[in-house]
Amino acid sequence: MIPLMLKLNIKRKDQEGQEGFDLWLPLFLIWLIALPPILLLTPLLLLAALILWPTGKGRYILFLYLAIFGLIWHMSGIKIDIQSKKKVVYLNLI
Amino acid sequence: MNEERKRILEMLSEGKISTEEAERLLSALSQRSEINQGMVKNEPRYLRVMVEPGVGSKNNDRVNVRIPIKLIRAGLRLASFIPKDAQDKVNEALHEKGIEKDFTKIKPEDIDEILTQINDFTVDVEGKETVKVFCE
Repeated sequence: MIPLMLKLNIKRKDQEGQEGFDLWLPLFLIWLIALPPILLLTPLLLLAALILWPTGKGRYILFLYLAIFGLIWHMSGIKIDIQSKKKVVYLNLI
Repeated sequence: MNEERKRILEMLSEGKISTEEAERLLSALSQRSEINQGMVKNEPRYLRVMVEPGVGSKNNDRVNVRIPIKLIRAGLRLASFIPKDAQDKVNEALHEKGIEKDFTKIKPEDIDEILTQINDFTVDVEGKETVKVFCE
């Protein structure tokens, strides 16, 4: 499942007055914005892959494009929580 | 009732197998089904890395990382697109560390095999910090 929300929280503990920030980023809005360029780009990439297929680079372009999609698609569920004396970093892709 | 079970009972009623043989076959069948169910249930979804301060540790750093297994699979597939020069450098660096593995020769089938077996993968280190690497 494609990640729809990003929760990012960074806090510094060593400096007084610096609270850090807590961010909820609605990624689904970014995907909505990114969708038209991706749809426009796809036929061009497919065409480039087809033209460059005899050179061997076409296969590379096509599979790289699909692999990047696969990577983004499966990012949902990533959770990174680091707490130290000086800093707190929390990232969650929902 | 599934087809295999029905077939065993038919063979028993036709007298082709004895009751003991039928019992053995049915028990083997149920065992296989339990194993299959277990495999489905235990299929890992995430790789977890947890670092916590150990007993008497002055450092209170804590790390809790959860990575989806499917993302690792996709990432490993993407690794095959790394240019050959860079792959050679990676192999050289690994060779220097005493790891004799050519990562350019890893195929998608190998990745699937690794990720199928990762279910039983657990690393538990206890020292100043407690490190746990496991799948869930």
